[in-house]
Amino acid sequence: MMSRESGLYRFWNDYSRNRVAVVSVVIILVLVGLALSAPLIMPQDPYDLSHLVLRDARRPPGYVGTGGYTHWLGTDAQGRDLLSAIAYGLRISLQMGVIATGLALAIGATVGCGAAFLGGRVESLVMRIVDLQLSFPAMLLAFVIAAVLGQGKSQLILALIFAQYAYFARTAHGAAAAERRKDYIEAALSIPLSSWRVIRRHILPNALPPLIVVATVQVASAISLEATLSFLGVGLPPTAPSLGMLIANGFKYLLSGRYWISIYPGLALILFIVAINMVGDQIREQLNPRLRW
Amino acid sequence: MVTSPLLDINGLKTHFPTSRGLVKAVDGISFSIGEGEVLGLVGESGSGKTMTGFSIIGLLDKPGRIVAGSIKLQGRELVGLSARELRGIRGKSISMVFQDPLMTLNHVLTVGTQIRLALQAHERLSAAQARKRAIDALALVRIAEPQRKVDFYPHQFSGGMRQRVAIAIALLHRPKLIIADEPTTALDVSIQAEILAEMKELVAKVGTALIWISHDLAVVSSLAQRVAVMETGRIVEIGDTHDVLTNPQHDYTKRLLNALPSRSTPGQLLARRADVRDAAPPPRQPRKAQATAIGEPFLVLDSVSKQFGKTPGLVRSAAVRAGLVEPESPVRAVDGVSLTLHRGEVLGLVGESGSGKSTLGRIAAGIVVPSSGSVRLGGAPMMSKDKAPRKITTAVQTVFQDPFSSLNGRMRIGDIIAEGPLAHGLIKPSSVGGYVAQWLAAVGLDPGFADRYPHQFSGGQRQRVAIARALAMQPDVVICDEPVASLDVSIQAQIINLLIQLRRDLDLSFIFISHDLSVVRHLCDRVAVMYRGQIIEQGRTSEIYQAPSQAYTRRLLAAVPALPAAAVSTN
Repeated sequence: MMSRESGLYRFWNDYSRNRVAVVSVVIILVLVGLALSAPLIMPQDPYDLSHLVLRDARRPPGYVGTGGYTHWLGTDAQGRDLLSAIAYGLRISLQMGVIATGLALAIGATVGCGAAFLGGRVESLVMRIVDLQLSFPAMLLAFVIAAVLGQGKSQLILALIFAQYAYFARTAHGAAAAERRKDYIEAALSIPLSSWRVIRRHILPNALPPLIVVATVQVASAISLEATLSFLGVGLPPTAPSLGMLIANGFKYLLSGRYWISIYPGLALILFIVAINMVGDQIREQLNPRLRW
Repeated sequence: MVTSPLLDINGLKTHFPTSRGLVKAVDGISFSIGEGEVLGLVGESGSGKTMTGFSIIGLLDKPGRIVAGSIKLQGRELVGLSARELRGIRGKSISMVFQDPLMTLNHVLTVGTQIRLALQAHERLSAAQARKRAIDALALVRIAEPQRKVDFYPHQFSGGMRQRVAIAIALLHRPKLIIADEPTTALDVSIQAEILAEMKELVAKVGTALIWISHDLAVVSSLAQRVAVMETGRIVEIGDTHDVLTNPQHDYTKRLLNALPSRSTPGQLLARRADVRDAAPPPRQPRKAQATAIGEPFLVLDSVSKQFGKTPGLVRSAAVRAGLVEPESPVRAVDGVSLTLHRGEVLGLVGESGSGKSTLGRIAAGIVVPSSGSVRLGGAPMMSKDKAPRKITTAVQTVFQDPFSSLNGRMRIGDIIAEGPLAHGLIKPSSVGGYVAQWLAAVGLDPGFADRYPHQFSGGQRQRVAIARALAMQPDVVICDEPVASLDVSIQAQIINLLIQLRRDLDLSFIFISHDLSVVRHLCDRVAVMYRGQIIEQGRTSEIYQAPSQAYTRRLLAAVPALPAAAVSTN
C-alpha cells in the first residue's frame, strides 16, 4: 500500500500548486457538504408544504419570516426559503449527475474497451453507432428521450446515460486501442487468459486515467443537462425541485425586480459546474502521459 | 603532444536538479581528443555517456546544466557560450549523429530540403548550389542514385540508409568533430558492419575526429584508436583500445568484458555480479506422465505461413473484381516454415529485422494464428478448432523483448506472477503468497518485492519478473523473443545465466529468438537461420557457426563485430 499512498501524496503535491484548482476543490466540498447535510442544517424542508407560509412569499434576502428565522437569500413564490431550496436542489442535482455519470462511465467503458479488444466487425459496428450518436448534440438526445419517457428521476437518469455514454465509449475505445497493441496484452493472451479477464484486469485499468478526466467534466455537464431539462419542464417533477426547476420558477419574476428567486440558484449552479471543470482540467493536466512518472 | 589537442575536456560536471534530488549525470570527467582521432566512449545505460555528448555540443535539456569544468575546442572555451554562439559552432565545427534517424530526420521534408536547410544554417548559397551539394553529400555516404534519392522522403529509405543520410548531414560542413551516439544500435548487424566500415573510411578521408558513443565494446574496438569506459558519470579507464580490451585495469572494465558471451565457452555460466542469489524453483505440479521423452520432437510447426494484409473493404473488393484496381498483395511474414523443437533443447532462431522471426515465434507461442499450416505440441494441436482459434494449452509460455511494455504497470508483480496460475487452477488462492515468493527467489529477486509495482524496478529486474511469470505457468516450452536485446551487457549476462540454470533445473525446451549471434551461440544447441520469411538453414550451433552452408549465413556471421582476438582469449 506504501506506493499507492506515496503516489497519491505526490499527486496532491503537484495538484496543490494550482491555487484555482485547490479553491475549486474547497468550493465543491462545501457545496457537496451543504447538499448532503441539508436536512440537518437547513431551517426549512422546502418539500414539506406545512412549513410553507404564503405570507412569506417573494420576500427579499434578509427578511425575517413567520418561522422566526432569517431568509438569507429571500423566498420564492411559494414562500420557500431559497437557501434551503438551493441546498435541497443541489442534493437532487448531485444525485442525478453522479448516478447518471457513474452508470454512463460503466456502460461506455465496457462498450469502448470491448470493441477495441474484439476488433473487426464488432468494433466497426459499435463505434459507428457511437460516432453517429456523437454527431447529435447531447442536449437534443437527452431532450428527446426525456420527452418520450416523461417526467421522473429514473427516466431522467436514463436520458442522461443515453446522452453521455458515447463520450465514455469513444474515450475508452481510444485508450484501449492504444493499450491493446502493447506487449503486456500479448503476454496475458499467451498465458492464455480469457478475453473478459484481459479486458477487466489489464485493458480497463490502463484505460482509466482519461476516463476519470472525462468523468469529472461529465458530472458537471450532466448536472447542467439536468438543470436545462428541468428548466424546460421535461426533467424532474415539481415535487422534486432541482436547481433547474428553481431557476425556471423564478424566471418570470426576473424583470419585476425579484431577482433573487432565479439568480441565487443560478449562481450556485454556475459555481458548482465551474469548480468541477477546474478540477477536471487540473487532473487532465496531471494525468497527461508525457508528464507521468 | 606539442600542438594543443582538438578538444580538451577538463573536470566536466553536468548535473540535473530534480524533485527527487540532484542527478550527477556527468561527474567530473577529463579527456582530450586529437585531430582526426577516433575515441570510443563506452558504458551501460545511465553511465552518462550520452550526457557527455550533449554537454559538448551544448544541447542539454533543462534543468540540466554544466556546473563545473571546461570544454575547449581548439583552445576556445565552449562552456558559458550564449545560445547564439553555440549555434554558430553546432553543425559547423561539431556535429552529432543520433541513435534513431527516424526521430532526427523530419518526416515531411525531402532529404534534399533538409540538407539545404542544414547548409543554409551556416552558408549563403542558392537552391541549385544546395541541391548539387546535397547530391554530393549523399554520394559521399554511398547512397546509390543520389540524383534521384535527393527528392525522397525519409520514410522511403531503409533504416541503414536513413542513418547514412544523417551522417551525410553531419558531415556537410566538414566539422572538426562528430559525436555519434549509438548510431548503429538500432540497425541489423550486416548494415551495422557496412556503416562501421564506411565510417572508418570517411573519417580518414575527411579528417574529422569522432567520438563514438556505444554500449558495445566490440563495435567500439573495430573503430576507435582509444576507448574511454564510463561508469556512473565518471571515466574509470581510458587508453589505447587494444590495451584496454586485452589488459583492463579497472574492475568495472573487467566485469564488462567478462559479461560478454563471445568471451565465454558456450553453455557455461557467464561472469556476473555477486548480488544475484541462487534459489531452487518451486516444485512442479504433478501432471500426467510426459509422453515425449527428452530428445524427441516436441513442438512441431508444420509448413506454417502468415500473411499480413488488410481484407479489402466493400468498395475496394468491388473495384478489384471489376478490374479497376490491382489487388493488394499481402505481406508474407512467414512463408511455409516447418520447424521442430525437440524436448529439452534450446533452438536459436536468428535473422535480421523483417525476416519474420518474431512472427514465427508468436505463431509458436500461440499468440498469432497462422494463415495456413499447423502447430502441434507433443502430438496435440495448440489452437482450438473454432472459427476464431484460441490457444488451448498452457505448456508453451513466452518471454518478450521489452520488459517495460510486457508488464502491466498497474498490477503488483505478485499479482502479475500469480494471475495465470490462479486462473488455470495450478495453485489455490491460499497458497499464492508462498508460490510467488518461491518464484521470485528462483529468478533471483527478493520475495518481499511481491507487492511492488513494475515501475519500481530496473530493466533487468523486470525481465526477471517476466521470466517468473512465464515459468510460474509450469510450461514445457518457453519462447523467448529477444529477451536480452534491450538490456545492458552485465544484466544480459544475469538473464542468460538464469535461463541456463532454469533449463538445467526444469527440463525446459526453449525457442530463443535473437539478432545477437554471440548470445545465440552461447545458449543454443541448434540454430535456424531465417531470411525473408523462410528458414534457409538449420543445424547444430557449432556446425552452423563453423561451416555455414548458405551465403546469407556467412554474411551474417562475418558482420558480427568482434573483439580483438587477444581480448577474446584472455579470460
